[in-house]
Amino acid sequence: MGELNKLKVIGTPVPKHDGKIRASGKAVYGHDIKLKDMLYGAILRTEHPCATIEKIDISKALKLKGVECIITAKDIDVNNIGYKRDHPILKSNEVNCERDEIAAVAAQTKEIAIKALQLIKVKYKVKKGIFDPFEALDLNSPKINSFNSGKFDNKNIAEVFKYSHGNIEEEKSKSKVHIKRRFTLPRVTHACLGTSNISAQYDKISGKLLLYSSTQVPFLYQRDMAHALKMNPSDIRVIQPVIGGGFGSKLDMYPFEPICALLSIKTGKPVQIIYSRKEEFLASPTRQPMIIDISCGADKNGSFTYRDIKIIKDNGAYTSWGATTPFVIMQAFSSLYKVAACNFEATAVYTNNVFAGSFRGYGNPQATFALERMIDLLADELKMSKSEIRLKNANFKGEITGQGLHYDTCGHKECLETVINKSNFNKSTKKSKEGRYKKGIGLASMLHVGGGAKIYRSDGCGTTVKIDPYGYCTVISGSNEIGQGSETVLAMIASEELGISLEKIKIINTDTDIKPWDVGVHASRTSFVAGNSLLGAINLLKIKLNKKAKELLDSKNDDFNYENGCIIDNTEDKSINLDKVVREMHFSEPNELAIASYFYEPSSQFQDKEFKGNVSGSYAFASQAIEVEVDTYTGNVNILNVYVAQDVGKVLNPLLLDGQIHGGILQGIGYAVSEEMIYKNGILQNPNFHNYKLLTASDIPQIHFFPIETNDKQGPYGAKGVGEAPLIPTAAAIANAVCDALEVEFLELPLTPERVLKAFNNKKKLIHEF
Amino acid sequence: MNFNIEIPHSIDELVLTLNKFKNKNYRIGAGCTDLLMELKNNSASNLTIINISQVDDFNFNNVKLSNGNVDIGANTTAFKICENENILENYKTLHEAALNLASAQIRQVATIGGNICTASPSGDLICALMALKAQLYIKNSLGENREISILDFYKGVRKTDLKHGEFLSHLSLNSNNKNAFKTKSGFIKIGTRKSMECSVVSLAYHIQIDKKGNIIETGLAFGASAPIVKYATRACDFLIGKKIDSLSKTEIDTFAKLVVEYASPIDDIRATAWYRKQVLFNISKSILEKNIEK
Ligand SMILES: Cc1cc2nc3c(=O)[nH]c(=O)nc-3n(C[C@H](O)[C@H](O)[C@H](O)COP(=O)(O)OP(=O)(O)OC[C@H]3O[C@@H](n4cnc5c(N)ncnc54)[C@H](O)[C@@H]3O)c2cc1C
Repeated sequence: MGELNKLKVIGTPVPKHDGKIRASGKAVYGHDIKLKDMLYGAILRTEHPCATIEKIDISKALKLKGVECIITAKDIDVNNIGYKRDHPILKSNEVNCERDEIAAVAAQTKEIAIKALQLIKVKYKVKKGIFDPFEALDLNSPKINSFNSGKFDNKNIAEVFKYSHGNIEEEKSKSKVHIKRRFTLPRVTHACLGTSNISAQYDKISGKLLLYSSTQVPFLYQRDMAHALKMNPSDIRVIQPVIGGGFGSKLDMYPFEPICALLSIKTGKPVQIIYSRKEEFLASPTRQPMIIDISCGADKNGSFTYRDIKIIKDNGAYTSWGATTPFVIMQAFSSLYKVAACNFEATAVYTNNVFAGSFRGYGNPQATFALERMIDLLADELKMSKSEIRLKNANFKGEITGQGLHYDTCGHKECLETVINKSNFNKSTKKSKEGRYKKGIGLASMLHVGGGAKIYRSDGCGTTVKIDPYGYCTVISGSNEIGQGSETVLAMIASEELGISLEKIKIINTDTDIKPWDVGVHASRTSFVAGNSLLGAINLLKIKLNKKAKELLDSKNDDFNYENGCIIDNTEDKSINLDKVVREMHFSEPNELAIASYFYEPSSQFQDKEFKGNVSGSYAFASQAIEVEVDTYTGNVNILNVYVAQDVGKVLNPLLLDGQIHGGILQGIGYAVSEEMIYKNGILQNPNFHNYKLLTASDIPQIHFFPIETNDKQGPYGAKGVGEAPLIPTAAAIANAVCDALEVEFLELPLTPERVLKAFNNKKKLIHEF
Repeated sequence: MNFNIEIPHSIDELVLTLNKFKNKNYRIGAGCTDLLMELKNNSASNLTIINISQVDDFNFNNVKLSNGNVDIGANTTAFKICENENILENYKTLHEAALNLASAQIRQVATIGGNICTASPSGDLICALMALKAQLYIKNSLGENREISILDFYKGVRKTDLKHGEFLSHLSLNSNNKNAFKTKSGFIKIGTRKSMECSVVSLAYHIQIDKKGNIIETGLAFGASAPIVKYATRACDFLIGKKIDSLSKTEIDTFAKLVVEYASPIDDIRATAWYRKQVLFNISKSILEKNIEK
């Protein structure tokens, strides 16, 4: 690896590799794919979130000209999907949430497919649904998901996570203050600009299935698809077209994907399914709504003593990876700031709501919101400053937390100090009693995995790197690009190490038949894991190249520099063109390829049954101080300034890093003040951007970003994962700021103008109440 | 969504087209930012869209001065209204309403005529035009003209006085009172986002003040808090003759209460009736409060 102080490419603002094709509209998204004889698929979903299906009549629809195939549950021989295998692809006897798929059509045009759906008649016996997880836990409630394993006492519990460290009772007795609260977090959605899509092409002759899919985890997806369809995984090839947004939404495989494959298998023709925007709102996953009960304490000096947490997560009707977010949630509670004792229990409960999935931050925004609100309350109770209490308890380098996380590097304190100073956090803001606009400032930190997360058997990534006889380099990476910029970073690493200019580097990363295995894009892991993997492959390749260069240069050295397309022997002042070395390798004896492969597995450990262990190769920290101005006439929260300091290990590309920070913060602001999926008896009331308040470019506030470089020796050039972090503490900091401005307490998100105004008016007991 | 399109290129052609289609199922489309949304959910058959966006007629597509008044053609886009200096100077409420409509992209195509004729209870341009008491000019399929005040144009939820075969040709704004020394004119739009937002409450005001500080003419309308955009007559009358700089807190409260008396909002997904009334009251007050911060 190049010496840190002499880096030429790493650390520079290289524009995104795929920026031009995306900006010019030339990128081929899944929506742009057109295959010969392709049919269009459409899915009939239930009219009721909870009902028994008495009859499905497809006869009229089948007669419609242009319809080639209709499938219902009885036409297919498949396995359930979801990691708990509790989710039938097509529902036959009962429907359990608004999304439920009952039948699917393949037709010659999209319009015909939609018309056919309208001709399918389903007779339902409507049942009263259960939309409140506490009601679902009532022993008298019916069993919601009939495939529930029954592993737990209660028939509607899908999953339970329990964790503890330290002695809670002892810590309680040491505490001077105790605070107890219940927080309620909403359901929000990823709102990817590219709606969900898939094109499936089954070849009846070879029995092979080709899928053009936007998945974030192609190899796990291949395996899941094979299990669902009862096929051999290797007979399924997954190609990823350009992806229009992931944010975690494409970590699970959803019913529409095997449905599309089945339509192709039945018809022998390619079939494409593309969601409309409305369908995207209805049927793509969401962040987990949850109710967090937390009590915690601090001693007279402000040291945190204990945290006791009970969480009820609304699992919805089926179980997705989203149910496992407590892995991350418990990390925040057990290990963000020092805390002597922690008790944690999270229960995912089946309801007749739609099921949640994975979403950037993976439970951490919810946890951080609750935790950082509690810290403000503890500070108030102790009459301590909100910055001091945080600095006092901040994590430190060398710390091994109660959960067993090893902080080999840790920028927590520096992050806090930076935003406290830059935002002038401690300047006493005397609150004026009068006046329409009230200012406030809030502080929050976050901890997240920064070097992958070992939750599968491997958290690894494979890479093959080759150099051709013309001096161009091809990197075949197991990891994939979902817009985050990993292709660019990989190209920069190859350029740095091999001295090949960026235009001569090609990244191949979209085809499971070609690329080596990788676990997928999640846990902010790609630059860290795929970057290390590429460095490993380059090291192996350099052994071969060095050997040939030594021979050709007739040099005594074993170590060479790679610069400007040349291999250089500095001590003897000799050099040779890289392409020439490759040609000599290929065409002269012993004739070998300039190619090498490497599989990188992070040094992290699997956690034990008690969820203890060093689960990531590195940990990222961040703090945000956010200044708001609340309009007490309307309840609008205006975000004035966001100060962000983030321990990124090392800045690989400042431009892409800024992109992650800006996007993450805007997503965090949406979570804090505007975004909310509103349901009435299990039916989504706002499946459109009109009423689902996704923020836009005009809502981006002033963002002041200060990267903190802690140079983690595990990371490529010292870098840590950065993708999820910027979103995680934002809602917490904003809520703290609004509470500071109005001197009222909020226990739920989002802080919509109406909620804010109501809270303010209740406090003021305003005379003109309507 | 399946329809035929007719494209007249002049006002005369438009009149003839309307005449030809007057007994058929047709819709007029200008910028189509409202119309397409409506048609997406409604697949009527044998529909013809009379696309008026290609009508090549200066008066139909632009803002112009005529005898001291300002005439605005029905096909004038929100963008053109934002750019017009005269409107910025003399009718700030309309300028601000246009500037806050949707997004830069939509403002390029969305027309003032479309906004008026859609008759949305939250129509931002309607709201400003009511505060300005605009006069509307209507033509029918025989080429006959009539006029009506925008204050009389709305008949119910998304219902206007426009008859089958008629179209809006332009509207006219009276010049400000010649004794007006200054005007307090503006548009307040309340919502969650800074753009692409449909008003949860909106308020347009146009208050003219003479040299001595007396209020001599008023216009005030609000949106999204009743089935149609509402003009608050009693609140307007209340201010006439009062001095703008010496209104008491009680007078300001009385004024705001008079505005809210015209509101009959409902609870919907965007806000409750309570919120709309409370905010309408607060922002009504805000326009008269002296130390308006910001
Ligand atoms: C994303 C989005 C955001 C929006 N935001 C706002 C907003 O912030 N504020 C706001 O007020 N509106 C908003 N709108 C609504 C819309 O853009 C405006 O109402 C716009 O002014 C309509 O103009 P148009 O030319 O597109 O009308 P069209 O869609 O072409 O027509 C609308 C209606 O008026 C009729 N019509 C049009 N011209 C005439 C005429 N000359 N004579 C008779 N009938 C006619 C049509 O038949 C149709 O019924 C938004 C719309 C969208 C899609």
